Amino acid sequence: MTTGYAPPPSEEELAYLQKLSNEYEPEVTGPLVGELQPSTNITTEYARADPVYIKKTEALPHKYSNYRACRGDGNCGWRAIAFAYFEALARNGDKTKVHAEVTRLKSFQNILDAAGFPSEVCEDFAEELYDLLRKTAVAIPPPDNGNPATDVKALVFEAFNDESTQAGIITFLRILTSAWIKTHIDNYSPFLMGEDVFTYCGRAIEPFRHEIENVGINALFEVLLKPAGFSLEIPYLDRTPGDEVNMYTFNAEYPITTIRLLYRPGHYDILYKIEDVQQPVHTPHSISAPVYIGSFPHHTQDHTNGARGLDYLHMIPGVTLVDDISPYSYGDSGFPSPISTHPPAMQQSLSVHPIPAHPAPASAYAPPPLQIPTHSLGVARLPIQASQSQARTGPFRPSIWELEPSVASGPPPQFTTSIFRNSHYNTAHFLNPDFEPEQWSPDAEYVTSNNSGRRRNGH
Amino acid sequence: MNILHGQNPATMNEKASSPMTTASQNANVTKRLQSELMSLMMASTPGISAFPNDGNLLNWTATIVGPEGTPYAGLTMKLSFAFPSTYPYTAPTVLFKTPIYHPNIDFSGRICLDILKDKWSAIYNVQSVLLSLQSLLGEPNNASPLNGQAAELWDKDPAEFKKHVLARHRDITDDEAGQ
Repeated sequence: MTTGYAPPPSEEELAYLQKLSNEYEPEVTGPLVGELQPSTNITTEYARADPVYIKKTEALPHKYSNYRACRGDGNCGWRAIAFAYFEALARNGDKTKVHAEVTRLKSFQNILDAAGFPSEVCEDFAEELYDLLRKTAVAIPPPDNGNPATDVKALVFEAFNDESTQAGIITFLRILTSAWIKTHIDNYSPFLMGEDVFTYCGRAIEPFRHEIENVGINALFEVLLKPAGFSLEIPYLDRTPGDEVNMYTFNAEYPITTIRLLYRPGHYDILYKIEDVQQPVHTPHSISAPVYIGSFPHHTQDHTNGARGLDYLHMIPGVTLVDDISPYSYGDSGFPSPISTHPPAMQQSLSVHPIPAHPAPASAYAPPPLQIPTHSLGVARLPIQASQSQARTGPFRPSIWELEPSVASGPPPQFTTSIFRNSHYNTAHFLNPDFEPEQWSPDAEYVTSNNSGRRRNGH
Repeated sequence: MNILHGQNPATMNEKASSPMTTASQNANVTKRLQSELMSLMMASTPGISAFPNDGNLLNWTATIVGPEGTPYAGLTMKLSFAFPSTYPYTAPTVLFKTPIYHPNIDFSGRICLDILKDKWSAIYNVQSVLLSLQSLLGEPNNASPLNGQAAELWDKDPAEFKKHVLARHRDITDDEAGQ
């Protein structure tokens, strides 16, 4: 534990440490529920630990991109599940479901009564839970809202970092779990190693700050998560041999989403896969855009106008708009026409590879997009990488088209277009390798220039 | 907690101040205690009562009447309740102010009762604690006594036990109990 790396201590020190150990209470500082962090932080944290931990934590970020720490005050497992439950509701984004949850949880009053929890004992705690559920339902944006779940996530985060709110919620979940166990004795007593369920609940479920155990997790899953359609997945990060964490899963019958916790002996945190964290993409254009490009191989002014709102498409590797093509780049990339001596098969192969293959680092953007001569196929013009730039980083060997000087100089532009202002093909764009900040010069303002690299969109 | 890293004895020693000392938390304690007081007065359970001292809602004096059929029958015991600002998530500190001879209560009035220690839960309240203490008077837990002699006598010599109870008992005033 904490004293393991100390030099051999004297007897006095030992006594002192023993005293500290006896009086030690789990650290109670830090937020009750922390901010989202990349799970590589866990790997870093364990970088100097036991080899088993190193291996397991190295494997962790491949599967789970982020995590959220919970305060280790004995309520962490309860808090982690409760918080993740609210987050799952927020992610699900269905107001009606949240209201349905209030109704469903209220219907448990019969098992609370049966287990000997009169409503006057529970109502204050229950009200904290219902209240937050109702607030969550209000904060969930309507389904077509483009900015999903930001407010509601902040609301839940704030509520769980409020001492009395989260204490009430956790207490009610403890009561509910206890009542569930007490009313399903046959299901749980085999796992209590001879302990009476009432003793067990009084000892391990009801006391605030008593860590959740497997029986408690199972019962809480049954009562809270399973009927809501949330599966539960708990990787155990412990010292058992193996390269990966052991996984414990509890499956809902009709799962809507999955809640993930990270267990380390004595502690629970919340884990996220990348899809749990990312905002859903509400940009149908990004899907239709490639089709749009492909179906209009010839540039027209209409397309320029139509595409103005789609600047962000440039952030998607391998996607470009017709409007991005600068006049001279047509010259560079223009295929030497069907009379080319190169076999057509090669052109075909060129036409298929770029989209998924280019990770498109900023430095790799280079002007010449490739135009497929076989227009009848309707394939999009796709940018190929860096015919002129030497900083080629992709996995492909150089193409003959890039090396042949006669090809590179190419035929003159057949038509002109203006540089899309926000395009990285514009040298005034910060992603352009030849980036030059645009400067207003009063002299240049009135000079007509053909220096197309400095032209502004729409002139 | 082997998940805590970079801990050294110095930082371990610095106990963080209680996290629940915010004004809102205190307001919640007050609200909770007011409602407990209300329900205690409404329910008027026989044999137990409790009331705040001098308007200080965080310190109460309670009374238990010894149950019939026990060595404490007819005796009135006073207790003090001190509620932490984290109540009901942490247990109140409960002491017998009336001198009492009991296997699970020491001569300072400290009580060995699991629900006041590690089994405390927010579902308990003043009333349930008093009822538990009342039943503890008739059913001591002799397996873990604070007063070993009393535990022995309870089983071996009930008459002698009763003598000790009566010898130790002394009625006290509310003022004494409130200190």
